[in-house]
Amino acid sequence: MAEAPVLVALILAALVILASVAGGLWRVLRGPDPADRLMATQLLGTGGIAVLLLLGAATRQPALLDVALVLALLGAFASVAFVLASRLVGSR
Amino acid sequence: MSAVLAFLGLLAVAAGAGFFVAGTAGVIRFPDTPSRLHALTKADNLGLGLVVLGLLPFVPGWFFALKLLLVWALVLLSGATAAQLIAERVRGPEPPA
Amino acid sequence: MSMAAVVRRGLPFLGLWLVLAGPDPSGLAFGLPAAALAAGMSLRLLPASGRAPRLRPALRLGAAVLQASVGAGIDIARRALDPRRGVRPGVVAVPLGMPPGPARDGFRLLASLQPGTLPCGLDGAGRLLVHALDTGLPVAAEMHAAEALFAAAAGQAVRHG
Repeated sequence: MAEAPVLVALILAALVILASVAGGLWRVLRGPDPADRLMATQLLGTGGIAVLLLLGAATRQPALLDVALVLALLGAFASVAFVLASRLVGSR
Repeated sequence: MSAVLAFLGLLAVAAGAGFFVAGTAGVIRFPDTPSRLHALTKADNLGLGLVVLGLLPFVPGWFFALKLLLVWALVLLSGATAAQLIAERVRGPEPPA
Repeated sequence: MSMAAVVRRGLPFLGLWLVLAGPDPSGLAFGLPAAALAAGMSLRLLPASGRAPRLRPALRLGAAVLQASVGAGIDIARRALDPRRGVRPGVVAVPLGMPPGPARDGFRLLASLQPGTLPCGLDGAGRLLVHALDTGLPVAAEMHAAEALFAAAAGQAVRHG
């Protein structure tokens, strides 16, 4: 564990980011374009990475860094898959 | 670790969290899909970059520091590329030639 | 595919492996083949140009990327949080002065990180379509400045016909 004041500050920052990501998820429900919904999940990806990094530093759990790395990779694939899929649908 | 570095780090982390909030505000408030795409990619990239920068004083070694920077570089590259791909699907009307 | 080209392309991949898996020497049994395979695949997708990128322009480029990221984030924050600002979005067509290739792809990447601009494809005349957050800003001039940076780093000339 990091020292108490640092720990509190890092977890506070993680909570703020988590709250803002949750706010962005409103776009998943609202849309209107499918791309809007995808973007909100991208926000979840980037915000999730930031939260994992913060918690990893606060609790001295280096494995969380690897989880963040995997999220970063998956985020890229999600966008590419979305664009390829929408091209297929659009060409029909 | 010096207290000054730790303080600067926490400052950067706080600023990063602020940019995440700004990005969400843009994603909710901007009137059209491509503009929301701007908000998402730009504010979040900077937010994550500041969080990474701010965590550097707290990592246990240079190896973890490099790995942190790698996470950011990956998100920066894939985010910027994905944003262009998505923008191509949702852009508004073309201007006259 | 020459051995020297594989080594030159493979070294960064090996560095990436070391960052990912740690400097433990027993991991190199997997890291070395992985880096070699990645180099081979990478050379097949993007053959070596034979022209090394120049250091000083490349550094200037790195600084430009950082500066663009910071400026763009602040720009978004101001427009998103200040109700009097807001956006005037639209698509602007910008003539390109570079042939297709890695340098132009890099330029598009930088352009997508800059404040208020996001490339979104080409039009029929081969111009780059840029989605601008504020069409009142000098979008074309900013694009051409970014293009010049990339052309300098790649040792290419920019030609605006």
